[in-house]
Amino acid sequence: MKNAIKIIASLFLIVVFTTTVVKAEDWAVPNSSKKKQNPYEASTKNISSGKKIYNINCKSCHGDATMGNMLPLQPVAPSDLGSQAFLVQSDGEIYYKINKGRAAMPTFEKTLSDEAKWMVVTYLRSFDKNKKASKQVAEIKNPEVTDVKLVLDINQEDKKVAANLTGLTKKGDRVALQGIELSIKVKRSFGYLDVSGDDAFTDDKGNVEINFPADLPGDREGHVNLLVKVTDDAYYGELAVDRIATLGVPTDPVNPLDERAMWGTRANAPIWIIVSYAGGVIGIWGIIFLVLFQLIQLPKLAKNKE
Amino acid sequence: MNDLPEQKETTLSFEKIKQDVLRPMQNHRGLELWIVFLITVISVGAWAYYVQLRDGLGVTGMRDYVSWGLYIANFVFFVAVSLVGMLISSILGLLKVDWIAPISRIAEIIAVAFVAVAGLVIVLDMGRPDRVLNVMIHGRFQSPILWDVTVITTYLVISALLLILPMIPDLAICKKEIKTAPPMLKKLYAILSFGYTNTPEQHKHLHKMIRTLMVLIVPVGLAIHTVTSWLFAATLRNGWDTTIFGPYFVAGAFVAGSAALIIAMYFFRVNYKLQDYITELHFDKMGKLMVAVCLVYLYFNVNEFLVPGYKMKTGDGIHLKELFTGHWAILFWSSQLFGNIIPVILLVTKKFRKPLPIMIISIFVLASAWFKRYVIVIPTMLHPHLPIQNVPDNYQHYFPSSVEITVTVLSFALALLIITVLAKIFPVVPICEIADQKGIDYKIEE
Repeated sequence: MKNAIKIIASLFLIVVFTTTVVKAEDWAVPNSSKKKQNPYEASTKNISSGKKIYNINCKSCHGDATMGNMLPLQPVAPSDLGSQAFLVQSDGEIYYKINKGRAAMPTFEKTLSDEAKWMVVTYLRSFDKNKKASKQVAEIKNPEVTDVKLVLDINQEDKKVAANLTGLTKKGDRVALQGIELSIKVKRSFGYLDVSGDDAFTDDKGNVEINFPADLPGDREGHVNLLVKVTDDAYYGELAVDRIATLGVPTDPVNPLDERAMWGTRANAPIWIIVSYAGGVIGIWGIIFLVLFQLIQLPKLAKNKE
Repeated sequence: MNDLPEQKETTLSFEKIKQDVLRPMQNHRGLELWIVFLITVISVGAWAYYVQLRDGLGVTGMRDYVSWGLYIANFVFFVAVSLVGMLISSILGLLKVDWIAPISRIAEIIAVAFVAVAGLVIVLDMGRPDRVLNVMIHGRFQSPILWDVTVITTYLVISALLLILPMIPDLAICKKEIKTAPPMLKKLYAILSFGYTNTPEQHKHLHKMIRTLMVLIVPVGLAIHTVTSWLFAATLRNGWDTTIFGPYFVAGAFVAGSAALIIAMYFFRVNYKLQDYITELHFDKMGKLMVAVCLVYLYFNVNEFLVPGYKMKTGDGIHLKELFTGHWAILFWSSQLFGNIIPVILLVTKKFRKPLPIMIISIFVLASAWFKRYVIVIPTMLHPHLPIQNVPDNYQHYFPSSVEITVTVLSFALALLIITVLAKIFPVVPICEIADQKGIDYKIEE
């Protein structure tokens, strides 16, 4: 009997464990991003500035780190970012997740600077009980270059976008820059849609090629605004190229604000409500003015008598 | 004091009515003191409002969650009290209920004062009052805010007309009789009496106009309360998201308005020595009317709270538990008991419908009506669909700041000042109407 309980308990634990692992794997972080290291040291100053940034940007959903008072959202509540289960991730993984967001978790790519994001990682890491000594991973070393160029090659027939990143060495050679992440985005009504895919890092020839999604709506002619940039501006500064390309599906846009509806602007108010309002106001004020007009006639009536 | 009012009525002559009504307008002992007091209170309130204008709405207790605080509760209260004009002089007037004649003018004065201040309270609640015209310029026809602004203005204008028009014969008398009035006031009487000399033609003409306005004010009066309720009911918040809010507000307004009228009747009767006109009969009738409107309001309250209370849907459940047994229980239950249930029980007995007891009961009813508005506005804001957390402590609770309270006192003082001034320059009891009713012949000379 005891054995049976033990077996059931261990089976249960295994199931729970595997499902949590599966859940954790849901949010795939590309290998190249995982390897990123926090460039800032865990000094008291950095931790406290990380805490400030955390309180402004993260606390409203995630609650206080280690306190477990996160917002009880459905179906998935935000994680407690101070928990050990969360901190088994590498710095690069946490950074990637802050950067990209997912579902209810917003992206902080634009709203926080790189430094601010790393400060938050530093702050969270301060809760890590088994602070692993950061392992130095062999990183690709690009030569020091100037005049970095990002060249786009768009194949509109096959819906492929190819980018090439090169720089000029001191000797005057143009060389490919390797292992740099690019963001490939399409402008939409609010902000950008990232179509980079999972692993948009330049290869040894400085190339990144992605397949543009086949079902993305464009304007009437199928034009989309494409923006390709170097994700991490710590390397080569702000480097971006934008282009209008015929990659989208031609679409006639429908603006729900164009129809007459209760939620519309004043100009698009439903006819019945304009008529009722105007009718009410004109009718009632008409009678008021009629009464006022009759009031003026009152003195005349006194004279009539005489 | 007036056990047999019918006997006294026979002794009334036109001269006596005239003297009795006009005497308080010429003899004003203690009135200056009262006005100075009100102006002092208003000045202090104006200073508080200046602080709010200078430093912004941050000086109030309102924050991101409770963004409608004391001011909106006040606004709803003022709007509610103002309905008495429509109830007494218009509905009962059209039904040819004759006992309202001596008190209908007091009802109109209250209506004008309270609806004027209600409009002002909304401006006091605005962080940028300089943009108030934008409501008209950029208002959407779909928004209850635009309807509210329109309907309050309209109600104010019609109420003012319903105050002045029936008063034209009396003003013609004032023009003649009040010798001590300052020249400005004499001019006002001359203008507003419109050369009225009570010819049969004029009489007919004037009463046609008054009847038109009486009919017109009924839909406008109903609209002002319905629209005020829709400001709330058009949202999805628990506690406001209900279909009964329109009639609920109208019924509540009848209660608050009647209570305010009874209090005013008592003070005018005592201070202006109008015992022969505002008789015990009027208090008795008003008491019966109060029972009727309280019962209607009680019925709507049962619908408003019992039906959702039976189901206790998650959001409603949180809201109702807080009202019934939680943080708001004392305010909620005392407003229901003192403003509704106990007055009904007391006022069915004749001895509580005597002037003094019914006036005291009315004070409780009016105060409860105010607290009821507070309970309608604020708790709902504190129970949003997502829980309030990880925000500064003063976001999670609302309590009006001293600035808010002072500005609120200002609005009450202003309403009282308007009533005082109107009751000082105009006869509070209609002279000619009473004479007409009693069949006393009179002449108004040019």
